[in-house]
Amino acid sequence: MKKDIAIVGVGGQGTLFAANVLCQYAMARGHQVLGTETIGAAQRGGSVISHMRISDQPIYSPLIPKHRADVLLGLEALELLRNVKVLNPGGFYILNRFCVPTVYSNLGIDRYPSMEEIVTALKRVVKKGYEIPATQKAAELGNAQMTNVVMLGALTKIDDFFEYSDIRKLVEEMSPPKFLKNNMACFEAGYSLL
Amino acid sequence: MAEQKYIMGNYAITRGAVEAGVRVVAGYPGTPATEILEGFTEYPHVHAQWSNNEKVALEVATGASLANVRSMAVMKHNGANVCTDMLMHLNFTGVSGGMVLVSADDPGGLSSQNEEDSRILVHTYANLPVFDPSNALEAKQMVKEAYELSEKTQMCFVLRPVMRVCHSRSDIPFEDCLEPEAAARWEDDRERYIMSAVEVRQMGGIKRPQARHRWLNQKYREIVDIFEESPFNHIEPGDGNTGLIGCGMGYTYVKEAARDFDRTYPVMKLNTLPVPERKVLSFIQGKMRVIVFEEIEPVVENLIKQLCNDHHLQVEVLGRSGFYASDGELTAQVVSDTVRRADPELRLRNEVPDIPLGIDVPVRTRTQCVGCAHRAMLYSVKRVARKYKGIVFGDIGCHDAGSFKPLELQSTIYCMGSSIPMATGAHFAGEKRPVFSIIGDSTFFHMGVNGLINAAYQNARQVIVLADNGTTAMTGFQPHVGSGVNLQGQPARKVDIKGLGESLGVHVHTVDPYDLESTRETLGKAVEEDGVSLVVVSAPCLLTASRKGEQPFEKRRVEVDGEKCTGCMVCVNEFGCPALVFDAGGEKVHVDELSCVQCGLCAQVCLQGAIS
Repeated sequence: MKKDIAIVGVGGQGTLFAANVLCQYAMARGHQVLGTETIGAAQRGGSVISHMRISDQPIYSPLIPKHRADVLLGLEALELLRNVKVLNPGGFYILNRFCVPTVYSNLGIDRYPSMEEIVTALKRVVKKGYEIPATQKAAELGNAQMTNVVMLGALTKIDDFFEYSDIRKLVEEMSPPKFLKNNMACFEAGYSLL
Repeated sequence: MAEQKYIMGNYAITRGAVEAGVRVVAGYPGTPATEILEGFTEYPHVHAQWSNNEKVALEVATGASLANVRSMAVMKHNGANVCTDMLMHLNFTGVSGGMVLVSADDPGGLSSQNEEDSRILVHTYANLPVFDPSNALEAKQMVKEAYELSEKTQMCFVLRPVMRVCHSRSDIPFEDCLEPEAAARWEDDRERYIMSAVEVRQMGGIKRPQARHRWLNQKYREIVDIFEESPFNHIEPGDGNTGLIGCGMGYTYVKEAARDFDRTYPVMKLNTLPVPERKVLSFIQGKMRVIVFEEIEPVVENLIKQLCNDHHLQVEVLGRSGFYASDGELTAQVVSDTVRRADPELRLRNEVPDIPLGIDVPVRTRTQCVGCAHRAMLYSVKRVARKYKGIVFGDIGCHDAGSFKPLELQSTIYCMGSSIPMATGAHFAGEKRPVFSIIGDSTFFHMGVNGLINAAYQNARQVIVLADNGTTAMTGFQPHVGSGVNLQGQPARKVDIKGLGESLGVHVHTVDPYDLESTRETLGKAVEEDGVSLVVVSAPCLLTASRKGEQPFEKRRVEVDGEKCTGCMVCVNEFGCPALVFDAGGEKVHVDELSCVQCGLCAQVCLQGAIS
């Protein structure tokens, strides 16, 4: 058994919380887990990626090698596109239909591709992908910061490895009290989006 | 069985030191090493401190070691540069209580100003023994081993974890902690601890530096022998006459890449410096070639080439010196590609062809957070510097992003504290344009204060903008000597910046960056002043403030009036808040409600009065 998961987004979107929930889940099931993430300077609005490797065999590299990830969660559209090469051909992605313009695209130096162009490019490389408006849903439910929890809810719908009730329980346990109610609503909403 | 905890590699290093009975730990924040020191707050019996720079930290740790307790100094590679002077004496004197220096490297420069290999400084230059861990668990084991060997050999040992070790997360066993022996026990040893050009009677009158150099060379040979038996070096059998040598993370990527190889290669794990020469020779003898995988510089590769030369061995030694990338971070992919180039017979299992995306993926550069006081400060400095045609020297910290697009304000970013002396130099070069420097508070106390004292002494006319947010923000909000609290969060003495400036006789001003107009006025006044002007721009880091439930500004919901917005782009090009988004189609700006924190700064920036 092995499951390589990458979660990508822009600094501040909560990739780390989502990664921690999935790690706790895998460990509770007796698997080995190894992960890494970009932190530090990348925190300030830069690209961030969390790698999580779950396996029953020894795991060496904390970085998922190219074309080896089974799951790619994109909390931001461009960051998903940037990292899609980490997926293996049988893997899948979940795209949050949400864009954070870059400094250069805002200045008109670069062009931020349209959502349709992004999806077309993704489909060229990977067969299986899902799209959800996770940030929009999180904002409706109280706070765009809960995008990560919506994504987790959606993941449990698609991949049987991630049991809905167990992950839900972990989100409940790991949420800070003041976000608990909204986080649970976001998790359920994510599950229902797909 | 020992309890297992899923923790960051940095905390595994902390735990290793605690299990080894460390008593005193000092460091300065720096990604990727920062959390190592923070981890000690879990163990209140250990004295742990954020020193104001790495040289101070290394000296604190050395003092503790000489008092015969186990100590540790923690920093990133740039920090190790800062403490080089102490390092080049500590290596000659040796230590008493076990001492470990942790210098974390950042291959690829993901969170650094440069890409640099600590091993060259600590091993090639200072001749100290180094452990280069392949993963977090090994880093922990190495720390414990380092304390034992440090006391056995009197040498300070170095752990050089790279970012992927520091920031990995894995299951780590928590074992029993060694009960530290009785408290400190100072014993004078002037033959070692007095590093001065004094004649050594017992050695025919040669000077102390030469005598200690001789000692260091002997120790180095002793450690080569010790490492012949080190558990951190081993040989794995394989087929063929190409051998793979993996050092630290290099070994990890060799093992990862080898999963997909259709054949096996002999592998040597080589995680110590100096290298165990007999063991290395036994591995390379009879091989046609060996490929060395190591992070950043060809340190081990060059040592092996030297060994081959000394022993007249005809073995091709390939590595970072040119066979594969001489810069950037290693990956399993680099290993696969490199081995395949050396051995074209190699086939990879599960190979997936690269399919082009067919679309450009624009880069994402970092910037200040939405609502950050630094953006306000940078905007004000830019307005004033432009008016006076000033040159702005930058320094390390979150505000360094003001040197990127869109602001492109600072003309230089070098190392900690370089801004003020560089401005001083430009001034004395006869530069007629006024010179400014921008430096954060943590950086100022680290090394910048030296530049200020010198500038005051030389009366080097300039405007120094001290961005005082009360924390070391970039590395994750560590307190410093100007924060009023210590590492443990207890109240601590706080440097009075204003009093410091006044004692030096420089002009001192204090402003609130969220008030753009008064900041601009103060900066304008400072440019006109003769001599050195220190403008202290004070506002707490927004992220630390919001965590405490505080706001450094009065919240104000803003909207763009589509009628008044002319699409002049000043707010985007000159201010650059990420919450202001330019609609290319509509040629207007709008506020992204999801990211806006309602600081209201853009309303002060808009020239058309369109944002209110």
